[in-house]
Amino acid sequence: MFQNTKCECGHQNPVGTVLCESCGKPLVENLLTDEGTLEMRYDGVARRSQKANPQVIDRIWNFFSSVKIAVYLIAITLVGASLGTIFQQESTLINMSGYSEFRDFYKEKYGTLGVIYHALGLSRTYESWWFVGLLVMIGTSLVVCSLDRVLPLYRALTKQQIRKHLQFITRQQVVYNGALQGDKDVWLTEFAKQMKRKRYRVWQEDGGLLAEKNRFSRWGPYINHIGLIIFLLAVLGRGIPAWHMDQYLSLYEGETRQIPDTNYYVKNDKFTVEYYKDDELASNQKGTKVVKLYETKARLYECTDFCDDPIRKPVLTEVEKHDIHVNSALSYKGMSLYQNSFQERVRFISVHPSLMDATTGKALGSFDLLMDDPAESYEVGPYTLTLNDYYPDFSLDDQSRPMTKTREPNNPAFVFRIKGPDIQAKGDVYIYFPMPSEKSKYYEKILNESFKQRGDNTGRFTIKVENPIVDGKMNNIKYSEYTTYLNIRVDKAMPYIWVGAAISMIGLIMGFYWQHRRIWLRIDEDKLSLGAHTNKNSFGLRADVAWALGRTGIEVPPKSLDNRRNLS
Amino acid sequence: MNWWLDFSSNAFIVAFYLYCASFISYAIAVAGKRWSNREPEAHTARWGKIGFAGAVLGWLAHLTFFFTRWYGGGHIPTSNMYEFMTFLGMAIMFAFIVVHLIYRNMLLGAFALPLVIILIAYASVFPSEVQPLIPALNNYWLKIHVTTAATGEAFFAVGFAAALMQLIRVVDFTRTDKAGKRAQFWTEFSLVVIIVLIGFLAAVFTFRGAGYESSFRQEKVTIDDNGIENSEVKEVKYSLPPIVAPYNSDTISFQPFLGIDKPLFESPSWLNGVNAGRKLNTIIWSVISGFILYGLLRLIARKPLAAVIHPHLTDIDPEDLEEISYRAIAIGFPIFTLGALIFAMIWAQIAWSRFWGWDPKEVWALVTFLFYSVYLHLRLSRGWQGTRSAWLAVIGFLVVMFTLVGVNLVIAGLHSYAGV
Ligand code: HEM
Repeated sequence: MFQNTKCECGHQNPVGTVLCESCGKPLVENLLTDEGTLEMRYDGVARRSQKANPQVIDRIWNFFSSVKIAVYLIAITLVGASLGTIFQQESTLINMSGYSEFRDFYKEKYGTLGVIYHALGLSRTYESWWFVGLLVMIGTSLVVCSLDRVLPLYRALTKQQIRKHLQFITRQQVVYNGALQGDKDVWLTEFAKQMKRKRYRVWQEDGGLLAEKNRFSRWGPYINHIGLIIFLLAVLGRGIPAWHMDQYLSLYEGETRQIPDTNYYVKNDKFTVEYYKDDELASNQKGTKVVKLYETKARLYECTDFCDDPIRKPVLTEVEKHDIHVNSALSYKGMSLYQNSFQERVRFISVHPSLMDATTGKALGSFDLLMDDPAESYEVGPYTLTLNDYYPDFSLDDQSRPMTKTREPNNPAFVFRIKGPDIQAKGDVYIYFPMPSEKSKYYEKILNESFKQRGDNTGRFTIKVENPIVDGKMNNIKYSEYTTYLNIRVDKAMPYIWVGAAISMIGLIMGFYWQHRRIWLRIDEDKLSLGAHTNKNSFGLRADVAWALGRTGIEVPPKSLDNRRNLS
Repeated sequence: MNWWLDFSSNAFIVAFYLYCASFISYAIAVAGKRWSNREPEAHTARWGKIGFAGAVLGWLAHLTFFFTRWYGGGHIPTSNMYEFMTFLGMAIMFAFIVVHLIYRNMLLGAFALPLVIILIAYASVFPSEVQPLIPALNNYWLKIHVTTAATGEAFFAVGFAAALMQLIRVVDFTRTDKAGKRAQFWTEFSLVVIIVLIGFLAAVFTFRGAGYESSFRQEKVTIDDNGIENSEVKEVKYSLPPIVAPYNSDTISFQPFLGIDKPLFESPSWLNGVNAGRKLNTIIWSVISGFILYGLLRLIARKPLAAVIHPHLTDIDPEDLEEISYRAIAIGFPIFTLGALIFAMIWAQIAWSRFWGWDPKEVWALVTFLFYSVYLHLRLSRGWQGTRSAWLAVIGFLVVMFTLVGVNLVIAGLHSYAGV
């Protein structure tokens, strides 16, 4: 398309210019003959994407600079994101892994639709290449689109000519045409004064006037887009492994565990849970357990010595202490420990049994017995107890041999060999069940009987907890009632996320709660032509114009200024 | 129940009646213009003013309800469906008042008030008792997040009301070409949807008033996150006559209705969600009673309802309506972004250790945000102002409502508070 880019006012415009950069006269052929209001976006200046002979790079640039494409991208992302909510996402199934396990889950739970859903990869929508790809494309589009427009717009707004072409003025969205009585200059000065009272900035130049207000709000969308770009980059940055950690750790009371892949250890000192009392609950909740608060008293340790030594115990130094509950995490150097959930599960921690003389019933001494990782031997009075065998979850196999079902101390049994004064040289062997249940006590009895018959022991000793209950409370026995689940997180992208969001918000507020308003006016002989433009809220602009005209002796209803309506 | 909560419920009832009175005044303002011996402009202005006064008084009563319930219940009343929906109604009234003060269009109220009335009637379907907070909700970011998000959505609602008005205003019933017929159909369809909602409310409150109840024993096999099957038997109570029984269930008790003494069919197995069978039953009832209601109205009017309303709107410029609709959305967009996304992310970071987790409710808040940004971008191009943009404003509000209600009813996630 041939286009004359030199305007009659003498200004040479770049290719693609719609309205002369200087005087505002429409340059495009069909705009000149057309009657409607002018397209005022970017004041009609040429954008980079409107180059005459596009090369490959230009074509890519043009693709991403189109708002139409951006709308498509956003719309596709919108549809894609909503598809992901039809069924549960794989990422919410923390205990599963592997393709086939997931496939079976979707088949079991959702039937054929589930199979299709999983096969299409919709069960991992938000990690899928196409979804991430869409986000990347939106990001690219944001950068290109903003660069494409912001510079030309900046140029157009910083070098505005005051006296505009008549066509430019009379084809704005808000227009007033009329004759002017009396002294032109007096009127013009008065009008300028009124505009200033409405906080417009006013320029005058040979019978022309420009009043402008809130230009800064034009930068709002671009600032918003910059914020979005930072936000998107930060989101993508979370993919960098070193920036991100997300682990779950279960701890029973008293347990200390290393946070995998770090030098830190956490200890659960105590876990408490509080339920609402019945009279605090609504009537349809009465009798149910509604949690009020749950909390892990936690300590964080840093390992300072023998950290990777397989033989020696690591040396731990406490660095932080916090009562972790939902909405209140323990934070230390960018790492945060959150309360995730808990399980009510009684778990044995330790007992403090005594070695007794079976005949006199006199205690010979006592010792501490841990369920996890018990010591090899114990010195009790003059005797030495060596641990021969340990079955944390005691049971008998099908040939009635002792075995352990799991590694959890659900029904622990300890086999000790006792050596010391007046005992046969090979020692006396006893089995000890610390769990105070009938079944374990029964096992303990018959097994010790059979050892005695085999001559492995003499029946001189018993092992048991003295005064297991004092004042209605367990004594000499330690157990944990709850296991707490903590979520351990490192997210180095967070500051960028917040900065991006904040910038974006500032841009939105600038762009939406202020509007850029401009009023152009020129007087030819005694004919007054006024045109005004705003990027939004033309209602407010019309009110401003009508107000200023009214103050200067021209009464017009604001509505009559609406050019779009007058044309149609 | 303590004294404050009693007082609070009374204030709520007062607000409800004031809203109804306000709506009637607005309806008179719109419909009574051509009544004999009246100056149409003066008539509209007068009744519009009365309507607005009623709306403001109703809103003050609503505020009273809110703050006394807050005081009496010990925490901000935005933590279950009843509380959230009543809050949203209050926010819509706020947005309506703001937009009204900017544009002083007397008739906007005729569309905004029914919306609020339907919404708070809908809220009353849910149990209204104060429930104590579970730990995750016990945080001041919750208050900030929920209130700002709802305020943003409220402006979208006002944008929706104005857009609907615009559509009814511009629909041309003399056209017989395809595009004209399509516009007529869809405009009428929007009204049918609203009437189905009213049908839902009518059905629920009628049967509740009559004390209707039937119940079933449902065996539910769930597969937990470890892939292990668990079977659980529970009782499902119906307060509407069961047309659809829960999947895999036996009748415990069945109160006959119109000669029906057993459910007509059983809900399909693939409907997931909590209490899917009962919800499906409710939907069927809503559609039935909505269509009966619509049929009655059509019989009285003898023409499409949009054609009944249309002539009363001819004094308003569609451009004004469009401007109001767009402006309401433009005011709402930053508030919504701040409340539903940014504050939500801050709270999620504090409570759940991640600012974003692709939970269905979060995704739908994002979908709403993206939808309205599509709307805003499309308006930058020619050809997307006017009717098309009004349709987008209408659909946008449907997305908002799906996010608020649909997600809780259809998809269960972290956010699913008490669902009926
Ligand atoms: C999720 C992504 C996006 C969001 C939330 C967003 C948001 C916005 C908002 C709120 C506005 C102001 C609209 C108005 O003033 O009515 C805007 C304007 C605009 N956006 Fe976006 N945008 C996004 C992506 C994009 C992309 C990818 C492009 C690239 C083509 C783009 C191009 C524009 C343009 C050209 C404007 C008009 C600027 C002006 O008025 O001078 N946007 N955007």
